[in-house]
Amino acid sequence: MTVVARTWQRLTIPGRVLLALLVVGALLTVPLVLLIVFSDELLAIVGANLPIVRFVVAATAILLMTIPTAFVIIYIEMKGIALMNLRIGPDRVGPFGSLLSVVHGLKVLMKEDFTPTGADPTVFTWAPVVVYLASVMSLLVIPFAPGLFGQDMNIALLYFFAVGGLTVVGLLMAGWSSFNKYSLLGGLRSAAQVISYEIPLTLSVVGLLILAGTMSLNQLVLNQSGWFTNWYVFQQPLGALIFFIAATAEANRTPFDLTEADSEIVAGFATEYSGMRFGFFFFAEYVNVFIISALTVTLFFGGWNSPFPMPDIRLALDPGSLGIGLLLVIALVPLIGTLLFAAPFWLLRSSMPSWQALVLGFIVFNIVAVTLVLGWAFISFDWVAGLIWFMVKTYGFVFLFVWMRGTLPRVRIDQLMGFAWKWMLPASLLNLFVTAAAVIVVGALRGGR
Amino acid sequence: MSFIPGLGIVKGMGSTLRRFFEPKATIKYPEQQPDQAPKFRGRLQLLYDEWGTLKCETCFQCAQACPIECIDMGGVDTKGRFHVHWGPPETYGERRDESALRRSGRTVPDRAYEHFEPIDLLAVDAILDEHDHDPKRMLQILEGVQGAYGYLPVAAIKRISFKTGAWYAFIYGAASFYRHLRFEPPADAVQVAAVDRNRPNEEAYLARLDEALGGSRPRPRTRKVH
Repeated sequence: MTVVARTWQRLTIPGRVLLALLVVGALLTVPLVLLIVFSDELLAIVGANLPIVRFVVAATAILLMTIPTAFVIIYIEMKGIALMNLRIGPDRVGPFGSLLSVVHGLKVLMKEDFTPTGADPTVFTWAPVVVYLASVMSLLVIPFAPGLFGQDMNIALLYFFAVGGLTVVGLLMAGWSSFNKYSLLGGLRSAAQVISYEIPLTLSVVGLLILAGTMSLNQLVLNQSGWFTNWYVFQQPLGALIFFIAATAEANRTPFDLTEADSEIVAGFATEYSGMRFGFFFFAEYVNVFIISALTVTLFFGGWNSPFPMPDIRLALDPGSLGIGLLLVIALVPLIGTLLFAAPFWLLRSSMPSWQALVLGFIVFNIVAVTLVLGWAFISFDWVAGLIWFMVKTYGFVFLFVWMRGTLPRVRIDQLMGFAWKWMLPASLLNLFVTAAAVIVVGALRGGR
Repeated sequence: MSFIPGLGIVKGMGSTLRRFFEPKATIKYPEQQPDQAPKFRGRLQLLYDEWGTLKCETCFQCAQACPIECIDMGGVDTKGRFHVHWGPPETYGERRDESALRRSGRTVPDRAYEHFEPIDLLAVDAILDEHDHDPKRMLQILEGVQGAYGYLPVAAIKRISFKTGAWYAFIYGAASFYRHLRFEPPADAVQVAAVDRNRPNEEAYLARLDEALGGSRPRPRTRKVH
């Protein structure tokens, strides 16, 4: 046993945490010093390669964003379906059980990661990565708010469908490399479903593209600004409906969740997967829910636009004008606010001990402060307002997906395929031709040609 | 019914949304007790163990504790031939004691095999002579025996069976049919005997008491029954 190991063993648990933090702090100090010393050169390099830096930051942020998003959606799904089943659902871990999905994630992380004998280990390991990255990369073009998007491409929609189509590759990889005929059949069936619904999904958007004349998602959102009547859903109701249904099938959600069909077949292509590799498939499914909700909102429901023109309020509030007083305010306001909100609890409830009143006061102060800060940001910054509108709409659609899962029974595989080829495809073609004809007619009437 | 595509889906979605806001059916058990009657004791069920044997060992505790006598005990005998039933609910207390004895490994006393006191059988023989050893006059014989002894001792019944040729069970059945015939001494006689046994000097004490009081002591109604 080395000296280091012996010293480490003699430390208490807080001591170990502190030591680890000290090491991390020391390691972080070095780049900070370097940054300060070479700040001019670094800034120059960053400024010269701004698009690359922006892309890297955006990709990292989106990759990091997907995990809490998946947790939140899993929680919404567990809780929502429980409430629709007249159950209570998760209510033990965290406030209203909201940390249960995180605990599930940790559980999956701790399980054995098993590779069956005879499986192709390389393909087997990379299949969940492909599925997950296909989801994450398609998030890159979604405009969350004015100025808040990974990359503004003029072919963003095309990119989205192209990268989203990579999911099929991942599913086939998973099914093929498992060395299990049932997994292979499950993978093939998933691929058949996803490819079948890809066609109406893409065709339903073509009508929209004819109307908008652009494939840039950012430009599409800008086209829908103003009142909510400008949203494309009112010009393309059939297209929106087809897009929504096809996207449901594309993300393997009820009533089209035949790839998983957790109550009937053993997870299809994911039969042989366990541990975090299974968790990646699971996460990818919920990230997909977020993505199709976000894309539906972006294409048909105005993206980050508010449904009505917001009154232009400018707050005559300049925190910088306070000078050194700003520091004083930041130091004192939490203290005073906590005491202020604790006072009524302490005065009105004689049975309440003072520390409980203080805790309650602190919580209430935090709620009020966060609300005030958010309100101020909503009014002052366009991108905060846009992000809030976007998230409200997107999570509305997420709830719609959960709601559908709580309501609709699963379809049969022949019904699924028949619906795609016999109804969705003709309907999307009809939508495309009618839109094109209408554009020509309206153009002829307006232009007098 | 008008057929509008998607109407069923809309109805179903409305139904689930209504459920979403309705009060929930879950009872969070350890914190929240279900609302049930105080007399509720759960579901009554006979359980089998992993070898398929009844877990019940007829301890009669459930039957005796049951406040409304809804638990009744019965079954099949050890050879699986006859249905047996362990008496009316009033006797479940005795059954329970017997069961406790049996399960503890000790022998359960059975009245039929208990040692019976030898008695002076002259009176029985006299009564039998009087009735001509006729088993058809069994009731008169038994009444006579009870008049002589105060009850029907087992030795007397055996003697009657031996002399008349009637089965013991026949005589026992006839005797147990009539309410006024009994197989044990009456309770007050037993008590008096017990007092006599515990206080051998009772007579002398009472004589001294009479002497001191001048004979004005109230007499008990009966001292000796037989």
